[in-house]
Amino acid sequence: MPDSASMPTDGERRQLVAVKGIRNGLLFSIAEDAAFAEVYSELQETLQGHGRKSEAKGAVSAYVDFGDRILSEEEDLAVRALFSGLRTLSLGGLDGAPERRGFRPREPYVYKGTVRSGQIVEHDGDIVIIGDVNPGGQLIASGDVYVMGYLRGSAHAGAGGDDRAIIAATYFDPLQVRIASVLRRSPGASTSPAEMEFAYLDGEQMAVDRMSVLGQYRARLHATRAVL
Amino acid sequence: MGEAIVITSGKGGVGKTTSSANIGTALAMLGKKVCMMDTDIGLRNLDVVMGLENRIIFDVIDVATGSCRLEQALIKDKRFDHLYLLPAAQTKDKLALSVDAARLIVGRLKSQFDYVIIDCPAGIEHGFRVAITGADQAVVVTTPEQAAVRDADRVIGLLEAERMPSPKLIINRIRPHMVKNGDMLDIDDIVNILSLDLLGVVPDDENVIRAANHGEPTVMTPDSKASLAYRNIARRILGDPVPLMNLDEDAGFFKRMRKLIGLR
Repeated sequence: MPDSASMPTDGERRQLVAVKGIRNGLLFSIAEDAAFAEVYSELQETLQGHGRKSEAKGAVSAYVDFGDRILSEEEDLAVRALFSGLRTLSLGGLDGAPERRGFRPREPYVYKGTVRSGQIVEHDGDIVIIGDVNPGGQLIASGDVYVMGYLRGSAHAGAGGDDRAIIAATYFDPLQVRIASVLRRSPGASTSPAEMEFAYLDGEQMAVDRMSVLGQYRARLHATRAVL
Repeated sequence: MGEAIVITSGKGGVGKTTSSANIGTALAMLGKKVCMMDTDIGLRNLDVVMGLENRIIFDVIDVATGSCRLEQALIKDKRFDHLYLLPAAQTKDKLALSVDAARLIVGRLKSQFDYVIIDCPAGIEHGFRVAITGADQAVVVTTPEQAAVRDADRVIGLLEAERMPSPKLIINRIRPHMVKNGDMLDIDDIVNILSLDLLGVVPDDENVIRAANHGEPTVMTPDSKASLAYRNIARRILGDPVPLMNLDEDAGFFKRMRKLIGLR
């Protein structure tokens, strides 16, 4: 039968699920290029085997790394259901090992209102402010900072070290801007604020440009690596 | 049940006490029953500005500790029947008045008066917390200086965090000619930064200093510009839509003054 001939036999079967111990628990690395059904059944087998061997109860966190595979909602639920049936493992996440999550985009935080002197808006991801940031107000984002209003305070984008982060504002008149570890102060005596500008890192130098070229900047980054 | 309004600013010396005295007096002039409460424990001033210093026997700390009844500590103003002052203590410090005690006292005053005007100390520490605790509304006073606006912004943030319904703004001591020359922040700049409703603009006026030194609030001298500003503020608090004095009007006023002098 031609069909059975193309089916992989046990002997030549490639391992689709690799289990690795990591600092926070167990990491299940899933092959990116195999069909989900195959991956699913192998994961099921692996987990059953694990359930029999291990006696610890729910103490170990499991992380599943699907690589670049994007799960549909049903697939996601199916995988979660696999883990929820186990008493020995608790699912830590489907985004890979916890360290790797730092490089993935997170939900942006949208703040509506004025960020006033002495107030700090801090978020692991992008920050969007619908309102003004007054002098003495502070924004700290591991991703980008977007201000739909006056940026008169301080903003720190890429606080985790991401040098691709940008700081954009409708009215760009900040006291201080910082991207990753590069700091720039306002030139002092403020003239009228620049409209629709954004700050980005050009190598080690901070640059400020019109918002209209943001697309080009993104495209240039895209040539080397994925963009948020 | 009356309404408690706290007058605050963050920065010192911008005119909280002057504003409290004038707004309180102006409300009393409009026929309201008003009590002014000084919460600046240890640095009381409101009694001096009101000219009631020599009448103090008990103060707010005595009320809080139960050394006297609330009615005993209230000082009736010598000019208006419906105007009272609850003075601060001069010998204690801010910590002598707890937030809970202050809230209780403000609540009792509200049941007896139409308006309770709370004069807040400078700063954002314990004294500030005590002053805002019982208040239903806040008025933030600032002057057209960067430092005062910065502090006002900080205070507004703290008031918002305390879920105070949107505070109102008074810009004090504005000098129209300096604004015109670009040497002073103008009203629009300040309102844009602070994004608050403007309750009033009070021009810089020597009469205010003179009146305070005589223990008579400016509102009682009818022809000063600051007096008119404070009376307008009081009317706006009562819900009367009085148009704001803007700089053009001020310019008109000064032009008129010059004309008067020229005629003489």
